[in-house]
Formats: sequence, structure tokens, C-alpha cells
Amino acid sequence: MSNVIQTPTLLAAAITTALLAGCAGQATSESTAAPAAEKSMAAAPMAMAGPAPLAPLGEPPIPPDNLQSAAKIELGKILFFDPRLGGDASTGCSTCHEPDQGWAWAEDFSRGYPGTVHWRNSQTIINSAYFPRQFWAGSASSNESQARGAARGGVAGNGEADIMEARLRVIPEYVERFREAFGTEWPIVRDAWRAIASFERTLVQRDTPLDKYLLGDKSALDADQLKGKELFEGKAGCIQCHNGAITSDQDFHNIGIPPNKRWEEDGLAQITFRFEQYAKGQTQEGYRKAKSDWGFYYRSKNAWDKGKFRTAPLRYLKYTAPYMHNGVFYTLEEVVDFYDRGGFDEDGRTTMFTENKSSLIKPLGLTDDEKDALVAFLESMSGEEMLMDKPEMPEYAPLFTLAELEAAQEAK
Amino acid sequence: MGVRVKTGHTLLAATLGLGMAFGAQAGKYPDITSLPDLKINVAKAELGKRLFFDRRISGDAGIACSDCHKPENGYAHPDALSPGYPGNGHFRNSPSVVNAAHKKVWMHDGRLGTNLNDVTREMLTEDYIMNMDMRVMQERAKQDPKYVQMFKDAGFGEPSNGSIRKAIPEYLKTLTSENAPIDTGKMSASAKRGQKLFKGKAGCIQCHNGPLATDGKAYNTGVPENFDIFLDPMNHHAFIAFAMFQGIEDYMNLKRDPGYYNITMDAADTGKFVTPSLRELKYSAPYMHNGMIKSLYDVVGFYNRGGGKDSRKDSRLKPLKLGKQDIKDLVAFLESMSGDPLTSGKHVWKDPYPAEYPVIENWTQVKN
Repeated sequence: MSNVIQTPTLLAAAITTALLAGCAGQATSESTAAPAAEKSMAAAPMAMAGPAPLAPLGEPPIPPDNLQSAAKIELGKILFFDPRLGGDASTGCSTCHEPDQGWAWAEDFSRGYPGTVHWRNSQTIINSAYFPRQFWAGSASSNESQARGAARGGVAGNGEADIMEARLRVIPEYVERFREAFGTEWPIVRDAWRAIASFERTLVQRDTPLDKYLLGDKSALDADQLKGKELFEGKAGCIQCHNGAITSDQDFHNIGIPPNKRWEEDGLAQITFRFEQYAKGQTQEGYRKAKSDWGFYYRSKNAWDKGKFRTAPLRYLKYTAPYMHNGVFYTLEEVVDFYDRGGFDEDGRTTMFTENKSSLIKPLGLTDDEKDALVAFLESMSGEEMLMDKPEMPEYAPLFTLAELEAAQEAK
Repeated sequence: MGVRVKTGHTLLAATLGLGMAFGAQAGKYPDITSLPDLKINVAKAELGKRLFFDRRISGDAGIACSDCHKPENGYAHPDALSPGYPGNGHFRNSPSVVNAAHKKVWMHDGRLGTNLNDVTREMLTEDYIMNMDMRVMQERAKQDPKYVQMFKDAGFGEPSNGSIRKAIPEYLKTLTSENAPIDTGKMSASAKRGQKLFKGKAGCIQCHNGPLATDGKAYNTGVPENFDIFLDPMNHHAFIAFAMFQGIEDYMNLKRDPGYYNITMDAADTGKFVTPSLRELKYSAPYMHNGMIKSLYDVVGFYNRGGGKDSRKDSRLKPLKLGKQDIKDLVAFLESMSGDPLTSGKHVWKDPYPAEYPVIENWTQVKN
């Protein structure tokens, strides 16, 4: 995060200072504050810079242990769409990250493995290459580990490594492609995640109206959007968390999202809800009483992390509705209204962990015009829709001929 | 593996060479007597029955135990190779689970030797069989009011994956041969002649002995390989995953099922499979670990020729010189080890399962 403070208006500067008290509560390991202070929402503001300014998106970072190559990217593209990288060969990455659904899934909860429904919203693949944290609670730290985790999750791909690897090996085109990309005699499933990650690192969008504007094309944003930008960076305070080139501080916050009502109305969703309590290592007591997604708590096991989720990036969101970790809002207007009410939905519902709700979230007093401007600005973070046709899937084929098998039988 | 194979063969042949004079030892093998009565908890067995026929206890809710162990096929499957989990094939024949509760060793290669609870777990969780995350399974059961009641009635408390793995074995106890002529004594004259051959000239009793007509040990009889394991990539990838998981070396180049070798990793055990029970095989064709033999006549014919071709074949297998009538009589005896079909509501869960999971009302108020 940059140390340069760029506050567009004096008002924003004032808000920044006032709201930093809340930020201290979400201090990351980079913080040098005393542990006791970290636990308290009332901790004194740290002496730290304001949020990183919005910035044009640069080249995605490429990990040195998985450099890009044309062979890897092409292989990763095919694998991304291949449903055989899942338990019953019907769920690939694209099953829940459909290019024509914003490389996400257009329902509140991701569709989940057959016979299940997921419990969180499917996030877009676009620009995921930039995120040091993946999944809503940040449980993966790279595209590689995200791909692996999703393919194996009980209500996602439900695939086991050995069967997925074995499938790749009886698809001759894959055997060739893995050999070319990774130099191995036979495909190794770990390399499938690496190839998929390489492909995902090509799914970036750097030419949005906002990027163009930030690169000097002052005509790229219209008056409404510019007004929205001012609100974003000022009165609405969005930039406190949605900052930098990737529009996310990659930290965890409880912004007051209420539980998805589907858990009260859908038996299948109730099954998954309880499963997740087990899968995420809840205590017996927690399993019994949990009635909402405890978010980052499952990873940190700190009470003050209940209901916190990783700040969602805002790029490409024109195509990725619904929004929030549990998909409770279907339009950007609803999202803006939610923040304007100080983190309450239209029925007055909010997080079950109000004690953890970020003090950054408070009524904003936006006028209708201001809300419209904010939505217009949010949309300027999306460029053209990125569509892609599903590549042709390579077919299974026997590894041995009948003659070879007969010869082996003779030699028994 | 080549060098180890040859060494192993030599040792095996040497060992077996010691006890060959079969005719003189006929009396030393335990008779095929009736199976002992099992104490069955009715409520638990009834719960297990509902589970056995319920597709919702597989990963994608697409396959039940009964889809590979079909009542009308003697709780086996009519295909040579078991169908396996959706998106997968399989590489072995689905064995009958009738009398499984009486066994001490399970699976064609004998890799499970503890109890049916473990066997159940293995079937539920194996990725090419039912691919079930048991935490999802448990939560599905909790979402079905009928199960909630049945688990309670069975004394299990709330549904759990642990009690599912107790209930299914309890149900399997009910799948015990009923009224098999060999048990009732109502055998035809032909079957009685066959029984004599079985114990005598044909030598079957050497391995097929005791109440289950199996000694529970593994032998190489030279059954030909089922090439569909390798020619159908869906079967082959299941086989590869299995062999990889078992730690069998050079698994990508394997062109045969190593069998018992995967337990001992001793080349001498390559191609050995556990003696199957002969009970209920009237219904459970095709036969052998890979379903390569279609009928009982063909099975007897196979042994009459001295088994198949394998350098490690058990040396007791020699051409039997059985005549046409002998073969008929042997088949009649084999069939006398099958009882009534277990296809009525006593053994089969016939009620439909709910199409959807009902919602738990007042969800926010009640404990999970």
C-alpha cells in the first residue's frame, strides 16, 4: 500500500481521519500496535497513511515459480472449462464462473456441486490475478491454491486429487499439452492448478473508463461519474477500503451484511450451512448456534473477526451481480442504499455481530442524485464485457491397444 | 516388476508343491454348513435399509448402494464391471453383499479385513464409488424428518455419519441366505451328485469350504484379464487412481489387475483374488473378480479345463476330466447354495424418498 496520501477534498481528509479509528480494529499483521489495542474497536488511531489512491491497473504480478508460457495458458484455458476436474465430471471452474455471467454465477449463492448448493457468492475471475487473497475469507493466497481448493471443496468441485489426475492421464491431448507446458511424462494435478492460474492471469481488464481517466484521458468519465468519484473518495468514504489499483485493501471488515434469508427458507441451503460449520472447523458449540456466516473468524478463531469478509474488488462488477459474500443485493442501487443507511438492508437487518461492525459504516446522508452518481462511477470501473467461447474438450482415449493387452496376457 | 515376478513364482510353486495329493485330504476341509443366526436390532436394520437404497448418501446424490448391489441380481450387478460413481467407471465386478455380514474379509483383493463399518466407510467415501463427503451426508440425513425419527427410534440420537456406518451393517445382517436347498436339505438328486464331485473329483472344496463356501484366502486361478478395464478410459482412470493410491509401482503401465499383490507387495501374489462365497450366485452373474465368466456352466467349464493361463496359477488347478453330466450336476449343486430371492419389502426399501429436503422452520430460533 502506498504511503502517499491523496485526498481529493478537505472533506474527505476529515472523514479519513475520523474513520481511521475503525481501521485499527482490523489491523493486520503489519500493524505494530499492541495486541490489546488490536482487539478493541476503540483503539486509538495508528499513525498511518490514508488509503491508497485509486490507480490504473498495471500488469498482473506473475509468481516466479509459475511463469507464463503460451503452452501453459492454452492448457489452462481448456482445463478451466473442463468439467472432468470435479468429482462426477460435471463441474469445472467455468461451471460456477461462467464467462457470460461475469465469470461468476448470477445467483446469490454459487450453484454448488450437484446435490448441493454453495453458501457464498461466486466471485469473478476477471482481475483475480492481482489479489493476494482469494475466497471471501481469504483462505487461498494465490490463483493456484484457489483453483485447487475450489475443485476439491465438498459443495464446489468435490473432486479428489487422485481421480482428477488419473482422468487427465487418459486424455492423450492433455498428456501432450502437460508435457509441453511442464515437461512431465504424465499430467500431475498440481500442474493443472498452475496452468489454470496462468490462464486466469490473462483475464485482466485494464482499459476501463476509470483506468483511461486516471491515465490522463479526462473525457473518459462523464460529469455524473466524476461527481460519483468525488463522493467515492469523499462523502461516501468508499475509498477507505476500496482503494488502490485493485479497489480493495485486501483486509477483512464487517460492514453489516445481514444473513441471507435463504437459510430460513431452503432445506438444501440449510444442509450446506451446517456442513460448512464442520468443514471450517467450528467448535461443537459454534456449530449448534451459528445462524450466519462467521467469515474470517473461521480462519482466525478470534471473536472480533466474526462477520468479517475480505473487501471485494469493485472492478468488473457491472457484470457480476448479485453482490456481497452471500449475494443479498442484486443491483448496485441496493448496494449504495445499504451503505447509505449505515449498513442496514431495507428491512433494517444487519450483521448478527454488531459488536464487530466497522465504525467506518454509518449513515451517509446521500441524496438520490448522489446515489445515482455513485452508481455511475462504480460502473466506470467496468469496461467491455469479456466473453469467451468454451474451447473444444479433448477426449478420453485408451492408453493401450488391444494387441498390447493381448501380448501382456500371453506373457502372464 | 519383471525380476520380482519370476522369483515369486518359483517360491510359490515350491510352497504349493508340498501338499498336492488332494484326494487323500478331502475330509480336512470344513463342510458348507448353515450360516449362524445373527442377532439383529430391527430398528437399526430398518434405518440401514432406508440408507442402502437412498441415492442421497453419495456425493452428487446420483447413486445408492443398491445401484451396484441390486436386489434382483442377488445384490450384485449384472455388468461385468461395476458401474462406479457418475463420471467414473470401475475395474472390478460388483460382488453380492448377501451374507456379507458373515465374512471376515471383504473386497476381491481382500484389502479390508476389519469390519463392515470400515467397508461401508470405504464404499461411501471412495471417489470412484460414492464420493461422499460424510459431513455433507450427515447434514443431509439431519434435514430429512423421517431419518431424524428413525435414528432416534434406533437409539442413535441425532443422525451422524458414525451411526450411518453402524446402521448399514446392521441392515446387511438381514441379507442372509434364506431357504437355500443346501441348508434345508431339499436338494435334487443331481445337486447331491454335484456335491460329491465338489468335495471329491472336482476339488472345489479345497478353497470353497465352510458356511460361506470360501476359505477367505487369495489364489491365482488364471482368470483372463478384462480388457475393458483398459480399453474404456473411464474404467482405466478409476483403476489408475486406485493403483496410485495403493502405492503400486509403475501403475501407468499396468496391463493387468494385480489383485492380492496390492496387500503384500509380493510379486508371488500378483493375480490372486480372494475365494468368493458361492452362496446366492444363481442371481449374481457374471462371475469372477472381473466378471469375465458369464454363466455357472462356463465357470465349471473353466475349472474343468484346469483354470486359465498364468505362470503363477495355483498348481492345484489341473484339468478335471468332468463329463457333461458331471458339469450339470456341479451346476445343480452350485445353484442349491442359492436361497429365495431377497426382493420383497422385507429386504428392499420400497417407499419413495422425498424429492426435496424440507426446510427447518424457525431456523433462526432452533439449535443446529
